[in-house]
Amino acid sequence: MLWVDKYRPKTLDQVMVHQEIAQNLKKLVTEQDCPHLLFYGPSGSGKKTLIMALLRQIFGPSAEKVKVENRNWKIDAGSRTIDLELTTLSSTNHVELSPSDVGFQDRYIVQEIIKEMAKNRPIDTKGKKGFKVLVLNEVDKLSREAQHSLRRTMEKYSASCRLILCCNSSSKVTEAIRSRCLNIRVNAPSEEQIIKVLEFIGKKENLHLPSGFAARVAEKSNRSLRRAILSFETCRVQQYPFKSNQAIPPMDWEEYISEIATDIMKEQSPKRLFQIRGKVYELLINCIPPEMILKRLLHELLKKLDAELKHEVCHWAAYYPAKEASDSRPQTKFMLRIAADLENQTNLQPYDSCDDLDFS
Amino acid sequence: MSDIRKWFMKAHDKSKDNGGVSKAANPAPTDTDSAPGGQESSARRKTSKYFPAEKQKPKDEQREELPAKRKVQNGSDEKPPPSKKPSKIDAADDFVLPKSKNSVDVTPSKKLKSGSGRGVAQKAVDTVDSDEDDAKDLESPVKSGGRGRGGRGASGAPAAGRGRGGGRGGFMNFGERKDPPHKGEKEVPEGAPDCLAGLTFVISGTLDSLEREEAEDLIKRYGGRITGSVSKKTNYLLCDEDIGGRKSAKAKELGTSFLTEDGLFDMIRSSNRGKGQSKEKSKESAVSVPASLPKKSPQKTEVKTKVSEKGSTTTVSSTKQRGQAIQHSSLTWTEKYRPKIPNEITGNQSLVNQLHNWLAHWHDQFLGTGNKGKGKKQNDPGAKKAVLLSGTPGIGKTTSAKLVSQMLGFQTIEVNASDSRGKADANISKGIGGSNANSIKELVSNEALSVNMDRSKHPKTVLIMDEVDGMSAGDRGGIADLIASIKISKIPIICICNDRYSQKLKSLVNYCLLLSFRKPTKQQMAKRLMQVANAEGLQVNEIALEELAERVNGDMRMALNQLQYMSLSMSVIQYDDIRRRLLSSSKDEDISPFTAVDKLFGFNGGKLRMDERIDLSMSDPDLVPLIIQENYINYRPSSSAKDDSGVKRMNLIARAAESIGDGDIINVQIRRYRQWQLSQTGCLSSSIIPAALLHGQRETLEQGERNFNRFGGWLGKNSTMSKNYRLLEDMHVHILSSRESSSGRETLRVEYLTVLLKQLTVPLREMPKDEAVKQVVEFMNTYSITQEDFDTIVELSKFQGHPNPLEGIPPAVKAALTKAYNEGSKRRMVRAADLVTLPGMKKAPKKRIAAMLEPSDDVFGEENGDALPENEENSSDTGFGHQLEEEEEEVVRLLQDLPKRKVGVVPGLEPEPERREKDEK
Repeated sequence: MLWVDKYRPKTLDQVMVHQEIAQNLKKLVTEQDCPHLLFYGPSGSGKKTLIMALLRQIFGPSAEKVKVENRNWKIDAGSRTIDLELTTLSSTNHVELSPSDVGFQDRYIVQEIIKEMAKNRPIDTKGKKGFKVLVLNEVDKLSREAQHSLRRTMEKYSASCRLILCCNSSSKVTEAIRSRCLNIRVNAPSEEQIIKVLEFIGKKENLHLPSGFAARVAEKSNRSLRRAILSFETCRVQQYPFKSNQAIPPMDWEEYISEIATDIMKEQSPKRLFQIRGKVYELLINCIPPEMILKRLLHELLKKLDAELKHEVCHWAAYYPAKEASDSRPQTKFMLRIAADLENQTNLQPYDSCDDLDFS
Repeated sequence: MSDIRKWFMKAHDKSKDNGGVSKAANPAPTDTDSAPGGQESSARRKTSKYFPAEKQKPKDEQREELPAKRKVQNGSDEKPPPSKKPSKIDAADDFVLPKSKNSVDVTPSKKLKSGSGRGVAQKAVDTVDSDEDDAKDLESPVKSGGRGRGGRGASGAPAAGRGRGGGRGGFMNFGERKDPPHKGEKEVPEGAPDCLAGLTFVISGTLDSLEREEAEDLIKRYGGRITGSVSKKTNYLLCDEDIGGRKSAKAKELGTSFLTEDGLFDMIRSSNRGKGQSKEKSKESAVSVPASLPKKSPQKTEVKTKVSEKGSTTTVSSTKQRGQAIQHSSLTWTEKYRPKIPNEITGNQSLVNQLHNWLAHWHDQFLGTGNKGKGKKQNDPGAKKAVLLSGTPGIGKTTSAKLVSQMLGFQTIEVNASDSRGKADANISKGIGGSNANSIKELVSNEALSVNMDRSKHPKTVLIMDEVDGMSAGDRGGIADLIASIKISKIPIICICNDRYSQKLKSLVNYCLLLSFRKPTKQQMAKRLMQVANAEGLQVNEIALEELAERVNGDMRMALNQLQYMSLSMSVIQYDDIRRRLLSSSKDEDISPFTAVDKLFGFNGGKLRMDERIDLSMSDPDLVPLIIQENYINYRPSSSAKDDSGVKRMNLIARAAESIGDGDIINVQIRRYRQWQLSQTGCLSSSIIPAALLHGQRETLEQGERNFNRFGGWLGKNSTMSKNYRLLEDMHVHILSSRESSSGRETLRVEYLTVLLKQLTVPLREMPKDEAVKQVVEFMNTYSITQEDFDTIVELSKFQGHPNPLEGIPPAVKAALTKAYNEGSKRRMVRAADLVTLPGMKKAPKKRIAAMLEPSDDVFGEENGDALPENEENSSDTGFGHQLEEEEEEVVRLLQDLPKRKVGVVPGLEPEPERREKDEK
């Protein structure tokens, strides 16, 4: 089993990183009730772990008896019926799903699932909680409509159904929903915390950790604990015993993106643009989400650009996603402006070449 | 050589001048007419890059020179060409033609337009007679010019805007034809109308400044003819560099003159110079020239086409014909000029003959009429009782069928889509009243009409089933019934359809003799159209008619309709008129998205009108943007032609890309929120703006790539992506159901995948075989990773230009892994089962079946209860609300789960997992 999963804390008491939040949550639910919750924070900070631990706290070990299900919904939307299929993870007491997976029809799912859960209230509430919990992942990717419809059902069925929402950025969740939830910000763990966890794992696995190695892994991890543990394990698979100067392998796709960045820097011509487009297609085909590509590419480019261009590149990198944020399907074509500082900077005003990297 | 050519060209120009002069014959009307015309043309000129400059003012010296030159020319004319090179002779002949020709045409045409046409024409006829000989003389050279003759008919309005320009065929650049080296740098001259009339050109190689399409267009506009290969009739081979290809070799062999682009320009330009002289021109030429005009067209008809409509002869003047036309104007031309005898049918003569033979022998064949007896039938087993004519609309299928029947004395009964053609009532006793199908039955089975009676008195009948592929819902069983009818028929049946390969006709074709009509060639059509035009007193040149024939895509009926339509507003139709007219009507025909993109991005894409652009991009609002998005990088925008660094081009690409991006946003609005009112905006930003920015020459970016627009790669990429997402989702479900991880799909891809891959492949590569296999299988079991998931992981980690993740793993190890995995699978549970086939069920349940996990101790008791009835396919509902098979599946899975969960497996249940596996396969 991967260490990431092996050493995942199962209860709120075991939590190593966000102990304070964990304790607060524990207090919250021991008082027999809990409000709707909204967890937000960067990926790899432990939101999901906290949620699972919380569920266990509420429902006891039965929360871990989950079944995975590909559920079909037939939704009667006026003149036609819509067929939707979505994977859900459910136990007797909770249902977890990522409605954004079905694209822009997510609102039907959101409405249906809550109604359904409200209908099937547990009959015997003795010794159990009188409510079920619905865990919604990636709420920030929900369409605006879905969020609006969520808002109403949240209130209407709150007696029988509690929501735990989980997302990366709360800014993409509408105000209305945020105000109906208890917002819990889960910070990215600090590097020290990551080092502590890595060392803990190293000890448990009886590994010899060269000094400074954990620190290097932590540094590379971009303050994502999951990332840190995963790359720690990758290193372990690749080479053991560790050397203190051992290279920490980047993710395959990150490597590929940095190649793209190099390509961009080398030459700015239609031909190159064409090749780059091919490469971005490749990334998208390999299921790398577009926004991650964009972000990473910006990151790589910033390393290579000179100061005056950085602003411009950042501007465009922020401009395009923002422009489309209003209503893009997840796979809508997106634009990527790649600043191309032209080789001959003295004569030519550096300007952006624009690369349309499209996908819909 | 070139000097001589120049000389001839000059002479030719002069002759042009004469043409211009003829206008002066009736100064008053001409002036009034020409004024607006001139304005119009200059207005057009502004939009055309060919004519950036105003016409040159005629120069006085030249005028004076003119008569002399003309004399010279005439002299050369009359002289029998003795020892000159053939090319020269050609040239000489041709030069003469335009002279008389143009001058003739111009006058009446202008006049007719002004409304006084008839009178003028008549007058011309009166004066002409004396000149008839002259005209005839002039004509003989025409003949030598062959098809060039058509050019003469055109009258000389200045060329119109180029419209869609380029013309057909030009959009696909075959091979890698180079750019003209001085593209767009030369000013294209404007010449007198029809100054190239009667000349035949062949273009070879790359010209200096014109694209080939542009050159073709230019020549055609001035009445010249373009052919594809050099022949005796070719006057000039237009080429700027002798690339030594086949064309030039042939041309040398035949002695065809070579002409450079500059030469062509000179030719056109100089023709124009003399225009001003028209005013000073002496009347004699003017008089003599117009005189020959009206005569000529009827003559031509006679000479060229033996069968002319209504026996029109030389003596019938065009005016008279016009009169007739007016009388009959109530009749559409398609009816009026429907062929009256089979020989008149344009094209497909052999098929018509075949039809004729078939019909002629039908009775002998199938009825054994007379004393021949039925034995005859066996003689020709291949013979079919019915015939199926197929072909595109408007090429004369129905007409042929009718004509042939008529000629053989058959009485035709036509049943077409307007009649109900459903299945005949089986119960014939109901009589034939009302139902058409019944009457057909009656008809085909009734010999009395055709056989028993005296044939001379009672015509034989033939049934024409028109539009059989149009049998629709209302004609249920129509085809089957038709086949039945054919089997019992005692009269011949002719079926007609457009699409022979239509699914509906599949059964019918076995019973029919198949005759596929082909489209007539444009020459054939033009010939026929010319007859009609002459009969109607319409002046059209042959090139224009060929253009028309080509534009209507072989549809004679449409060509006639177009012609008639145009005849209502003008009596002289030119190449440009046809083009303009057909541009608007060609909307109706299908444009492939590629053609549309070609046009938008074409070299003159910038000159299209906005509505044309919208039409083009709307021709397929889904595909056109895709193709544009795929190919826009490939275009070198003509607006930044002199851009060394490529910065401009990159900027244009950037703008185009931004616009495409906007288009996508709009598209989302349209599709998701059904804001269809945005579709114009959408097509503007996703197609028109990028095309407007980047239209120009296409270039290849990759070695070996063909220089065509690629089909949008996006569709394929997108489907691959969704496939990969599906696979990823499968794996995600498996991993989730292992309960070891609960990450999202995205996290799985972005963060886990690398580690998973390493865990799965590194041991295989580095550790000893058995140990490695054991470890990997164990790992796979932990996360419920199936072999398919293994492949998915490898697939998703592949990047172009990166080594395959499986590289370095010896095949033996791979095989061992597969084996070990399969062995283990007897006891393993993979928690999600896809498309399980259950015994006793024919179809696999479509739904994916959920994996279910319960700690074994909870389930154990329950499970025994469930497992037993399971074999009966009807297990009791366990309350999970699944369908039966799912339920069953879950139980099976639970059973399999047991060993893993370290609970003893009940021996009696052991067979279950095996069965399941079998099913899974």
